[in-house]
Amino acid sequence: MSNYDLINSLSGLLILTSLMVIETKKLRTSAFLYGVQSFVLVLIFLALAVTMKADQLYLWAASAFVTKVLLVPYIIYRTQKGISEAEQPSLAVRPVVSLVLAAITLVVSFVVVSQLDLKIAAVFKPALAISVAHFFFGQLCILTQRNLLKQVLGFCLMENGSHLTLALLAYDAPELVEIGIATDAIFGVLIMSILVLQIYRSLHTLDAASLTSLKG
Amino acid sequence: MMYTTYLVWLLIAPLILSLVTFSLRWLKRYTTRLVEVIHIISISAVLILAMLVIQGVLDQGSVATLSDWLHVDALAAIFLLIVAVVGFLVGIYSIGYIRNDVEIGELEEAQVITYYGLFELFLFTMLLVVTANNIIIMWVAIEATTLGSAFLVGIYQHRPSLEAAWKYIIICTVGVAFGLYGTILVYSDAVNFLREPGEAILWTEIVKNAQALDPTLLKLAFVFVLIGFGTKAGIFPMHAWLPDAHSEAPSPVSAMLSAVLLNCALLVVIRFSIILSRGVDPEFPQTILLAFGVLSIVAASLFMFVQRDIKRILAYSSVENIGLIILGLGVGGPAGILAALLHTINHSLVKALMFCTSGNILMKYRTRDLGKIKGIIQIAPFTSILLMVGVLALVGSPPFNIFVSKFSIISAGISSGFTWLMVFCLLFLAIVFTAMLRLISSSVFGKVPDGMKTGEIKTTMLIPLIVLMVLILVLGLYIPPQIITLLNQATAITLTGSPIADTSSLISMQNTNNIPIVLLQFQRLLTP
Repeated sequence: MSNYDLINSLSGLLILTSLMVIETKKLRTSAFLYGVQSFVLVLIFLALAVTMKADQLYLWAASAFVTKVLLVPYIIYRTQKGISEAEQPSLAVRPVVSLVLAAITLVVSFVVVSQLDLKIAAVFKPALAISVAHFFFGQLCILTQRNLLKQVLGFCLMENGSHLTLALLAYDAPELVEIGIATDAIFGVLIMSILVLQIYRSLHTLDAASLTSLKG
Repeated sequence: MMYTTYLVWLLIAPLILSLVTFSLRWLKRYTTRLVEVIHIISISAVLILAMLVIQGVLDQGSVATLSDWLHVDALAAIFLLIVAVVGFLVGIYSIGYIRNDVEIGELEEAQVITYYGLFELFLFTMLLVVTANNIIIMWVAIEATTLGSAFLVGIYQHRPSLEAAWKYIIICTVGVAFGLYGTILVYSDAVNFLREPGEAILWTEIVKNAQALDPTLLKLAFVFVLIGFGTKAGIFPMHAWLPDAHSEAPSPVSAMLSAVLLNCALLVVIRFSIILSRGVDPEFPQTILLAFGVLSIVAASLFMFVQRDIKRILAYSSVENIGLIILGLGVGGPAGILAALLHTINHSLVKALMFCTSGNILMKYRTRDLGKIKGIIQIAPFTSILLMVGVLALVGSPPFNIFVSKFSIISAGISSGFTWLMVFCLLFLAIVFTAMLRLISSSVFGKVPDGMKTGEIKTTMLIPLIVLMVLILVLGLYIPPQIITLLNQATAITLTGSPIADTSSLISMQNTNNIPIVLLQFQRLLTP
């Protein structure tokens, strides 16, 4: 198996893990699965670093390992700890529906990416398509999940998708750029989690469907 | 050399002072007075340094530093002016407003420190947006504005304010993520022909080489950019977060969101539309901007008409005015673009005044419901004058500043052959007019509710509002030559990517007594 195949198949693994993150009921498990997925992302970064001889990607892998494999799952885990399972809302749509939507997203992403004329990533088209699809999976998660913390995980999935796109298309960008994006991502998760706790404290629910007092 | 130092300090000052403010909380050694002093130092420093940087732009065309990662040209200078001036005035207003919130128990002492720390941070992120030349840092900064202001929106921790904060952060981070895709697409294409990756990431370099970019990719990127940064700019239909966040945030924060933040996001949209105009042709972005401009005006005017909440009316008015600005940009040509940029300045000043005035009303009546706000003229006569001036300015009545820019956008549209489209927009602006006049007639006059105490709010809070009112009036009668220079250069940048252009197509200072340069030259008497 060539390096290209390895990278493309690892990207496939991202899809699998993200579906598991979305469909798992227990938040604790979801957070853990997200960590697993981020580890796959780290492996992809390492493989890309070797294949494209892009040394800066080793740094990306290291920072992603710290922030995404360790820190983000830990933040989610800590946040859900204070919230009882009983008060967690159910799914907004049935798993089958979100699976079908995910499949459609994947197909559309492949079609769109295959149309693009991107010299830089001709060999990585499947990985690129997956990264774009992954970004939309995150959005799908935000739209279909009523649990606010699941929506935070949706944001994380979205972020993993765009991170991979960035690694494929802009791995040679100055290091500071990646640091900026990673900082935004980690602060995003942190701030959203604090907001979730504030909402839980004053509303005693994690259900997005109960956040409907503002209209018009 | 001096100017570049000012530019660096312009960013460092609010960031450091924000961190100082937060560390005081951590050290548990603070008094409200101390935090307020730090706040005043921060907003004053930003105002002075911004003016110095703008002077640099007037002197030498642009100020750039840190390997060109920071770059202030005339276009950025206009937005910098808005951030600094509105930031300062609203910052001063904040002091009295937040003190009052503590007095009545809306906020705790400890939250005051959070408020000012976040205010400084928010200011820093917006300054980074307008001064960034690295397109990905532009995105990072826009995302950071959301993160910096989300807690400000939800600071009261009531059910509606937390709900507004959640919607704000979710809708904006999801929306702005699209912007990242647009940005990456442009970069990954530019890196193909610009040898140095460090160059392909700079807006100034990409614009110079825009013709070499792949047109299809560029168009796709622009759609992503418009969805992404358009969400943040409050363009319909991506505006869903805006009315909630603007109405639930403390009034000074609403003023900052509406008068400053929306424009920062708009600047990024303008930056990308310049790349596209140079790379493909101006028609593609113009058509899209026209369409979104008209949609925003139409939708906002209808929403405005049915609101009963004073701050929600103002929030939809922001959507309407952002619509007007992108309508002007969509009309294009020197006249349309210049009018749009002028409208950006004018709308910011008026909207800052209006949200702060609504803050005064809120302090008096403890409600935003127009059904309960009656007889302001008897309770707080000066506030009622501010409100009436603000509303008249907002609907575009002379002699206030918005009249000039609104008139110029419409006349630029007519002279570019969009007569029917402009007439169509005017119909909806008439709806806005009605909604706004109803706001005055229902709140300024009428029977004062029982038990209301007469009396103006603190004078220190009125001073910044008086300054805003004077600026609104002055800019309706006379635009200083420095601002005209900036507007001319910024228009040239938007048209050609460089500040030097055929000056005959721009406004000149000659033969006028400057009643806004005879309404920005009355679009050369509407010649097609």
